[in-house]
Amino acid sequence: MSSGLIITLIGVFAVLAGVAFYNRLITLKNRTFNGFSQIEVQLQRRYELIPNLVNTAKAYMSHEADTLKAVTEARNNASEKCEAAAKNPEDASLVSALASADSVLTDAMGRLNVVMENYPDLKADAQMRDLGEELASTENRVAYARQAYSDSVMLYNTSREQFPAVIVANLCSFREADLFQVEDPVMKQAVKVSVTW
Amino acid sequence: MNFFDQQSAKRRQSLFLLIFFIAAFIATGIVIHVVIAGLSIFLGESTQMFDLSTPAVTLIGLVWVMIFLGALFRTMDVKSGAAKLAMRFGAVQVSDCSRDENEQQLLNVVAEISIASSTPQPDVYVLRRETSINAFVLGSAPRVNQERRHVLVITQGALDHFDRDELKAVVAHEYGHISNGDITVNMNLLIALGGLMAIDEVGRLLVGKNPDNNFHPGVIAGCLLRVLGSIGVFFGQLIRCAFSRQREYLADACALQFTRNPYALASALNIIKLQNEELALHSIHEQELAHLCFQSGKTKRWLDRLFASHPKLQNRIDAIDPYFGVKHHKARKAKMHMDERVSVSGGDALSDIGFGVTSEPIVESVLSDGAQIMLSDTPNSMAVLFAIFISDDANNRRDYFNAAAFAFNRKFAVRIKELSNILSDEMHNNQLALIVQATKTICASASLEDRHRLLVKLEGLVSAADDFNLMNYASLQLIRRKLKLEFPLIKTMAEDHSAQGRHVKKFDSMGSEFALLLSLIVESSGASEALQNQEFVRVLKCYTASSYPRRSKKEKGIVLEVSAAFQTLYVQPKPVREAFLQHCIEIVRQDGYIARAERALLDLFAASLGCQQKPA
Repeated sequence: MSSGLIITLIGVFAVLAGVAFYNRLITLKNRTFNGFSQIEVQLQRRYELIPNLVNTAKAYMSHEADTLKAVTEARNNASEKCEAAAKNPEDASLVSALASADSVLTDAMGRLNVVMENYPDLKADAQMRDLGEELASTENRVAYARQAYSDSVMLYNTSREQFPAVIVANLCSFREADLFQVEDPVMKQAVKVSVTW
Repeated sequence: MNFFDQQSAKRRQSLFLLIFFIAAFIATGIVIHVVIAGLSIFLGESTQMFDLSTPAVTLIGLVWVMIFLGALFRTMDVKSGAAKLAMRFGAVQVSDCSRDENEQQLLNVVAEISIASSTPQPDVYVLRRETSINAFVLGSAPRVNQERRHVLVITQGALDHFDRDELKAVVAHEYGHISNGDITVNMNLLIALGGLMAIDEVGRLLVGKNPDNNFHPGVIAGCLLRVLGSIGVFFGQLIRCAFSRQREYLADACALQFTRNPYALASALNIIKLQNEELALHSIHEQELAHLCFQSGKTKRWLDRLFASHPKLQNRIDAIDPYFGVKHHKARKAKMHMDERVSVSGGDALSDIGFGVTSEPIVESVLSDGAQIMLSDTPNSMAVLFAIFISDDANNRRDYFNAAAFAFNRKFAVRIKELSNILSDEMHNNQLALIVQATKTICASASLEDRHRLLVKLEGLVSAADDFNLMNYASLQLIRRKLKLEFPLIKTMAEDHSAQGRHVKKFDSMGSEFALLLSLIVESSGASEALQNQEFVRVLKCYTASSYPRRSKKEKGIVLEVSAAFQTLYVQPKPVREAFLQHCIEIVRQDGYIARAERALLDLFAASLGCQQKPA
């Protein structure tokens, strides 16, 4: 067998392997994008539920108009930011704006939650209990969407940095994906709404 | 385990299975050849060991064809669709508009885990009558232009016993099976086993029914084939079970990856462990489903453990969280402490918030004292049984009274009329209780023959009426049951079906009876015509592949057919009856609420079939 043939074979093999790694990285990268948009979908779902909660609560707690108003405002703000970030997911500043808006909302919800403790009638309300389950589920979905996103980012980054793939990654400029990180520590704490009903 | 490892592991498994199958295939051929050649040498017909004789070639060819057919049938069985399979067990799909709190929660949990695992959401089914705690996933064959849908089935027992987190852990475990591709592998194993079982079947055919009749080489070959097939099946099962146990650990690990809550999964397993149940699933097909279930019941002996599809529960708990015992103990203590505090502060408002299990007490319909006293008298009780069938239509009513007067005497007819006025409330609202009370009294005082005579008269009267309907028929059957009289046909039918009960596949052979009963129930549901048709076709599909026309209660001679159909259903094993009843309930529920007439019909139907009906 001539050496030329061997070199050709090795070359073909290298190209094929390169294509395989490239495709693999593309798949993983798109999966991270999908994971990220999933977070936004679930956040939006949460924002759509909150007006229902506020309306139900209004009937029982007319004295707490301030708290309710704060929740509504925070919700509207976060919802806007979420839509903006969904339109332009590459923009890191929009994403961080969304994260901080969401943390403000979480704060307001926490306060509302504390206040609601004083209204046993409200908590016994059938509609409220349905909403409670719905909200608990939504909070979980947001958390799981984040978790799935983090997992996919980890998988992508690991595959990108491993030996043969790292050559392809550098040649085709695959960038490292960012975790959905929040600078504000408030954002990281557990959302209390999910556990009280 | 990352994606690559999983993929290569799966490939290795599939290759292993293929080799296993081919080896079994070739080994069968060799054994047959050796046996036949050996026999011919022994009988002195031939001296060559390696000559292929014609009978040997024919036999080998036959056996191979059989194995292929066996595997093929299994494949078709497996591919027939998960949803259909689930419905055959009596599972009911949980829809988004379910009003049941638990079911709504289940749907939410499934949606959450599907986000966590980035897997498409499966269809969710509930086995409403299953009290044991279990869950399993089924995979359906991908259809043209459709993505592959999985089906997740969970028992009512699991819904009742688990809290939200535990339910989530169990659902996540099942998702683990989905994302590891265990269903496909398990189905492949089933197919390979089907092929091996075919060898055993061929052996049985060769041996024939009377081995002492005439001796020929086929008998020995048959015996050997049976041995070979049995050994094959034995090792096949062994491998399948060992494999399945490993996959359980993997699915548990996946569940942890999705929920990040080891405590919940361990506590779910612990609840099952504390349940003193031998059976993992009471329904039919337990064996075949065992490998897909969340748990497989308890195993006591060493040999059983070798063939267990699941590892020991305690081993699984230890693998998930070695300190679960301590944590569980602490949590329970803390909870008891909390409960004490709550009860001291006198507020039970807290206890019904949260996702506690709300168990509805089964309301026994009770008669008023007055009615009970009246029915302690035998003639009154008899009259009441007749009064139940009095029609609302004035013409029919007059005919009915005349017929009653003719059958007995005028005084008795008057008594029927009086009673129907006195007990008119109960007649409309609580027929079931009336029948139960009246028949109890009659049974206590009348002999078997008298009861029989009474029933014959009643039947004659009722079925002669113009407006004989399904409701009346069901009432009649209930009375028959309560009077402890058997169907005239039942004895002969009960004798020829074996003790294990019939296989569900027999449904196909009684398709027309089912179609008939179903169409009557659909008709009484009061839904729109289009919806009725749709529902009829949907339910019929889970029983039989062929289609039947919808019938109407207005047809002539339908009563006789209903009677026959009812008897067919009555001798079916209990799970079949229950599944059928469950479908009836679903149809009636379709329009969102259950009318009183429908409810009464269902009650009667359930009681006549000897099933307990869950209060809707």
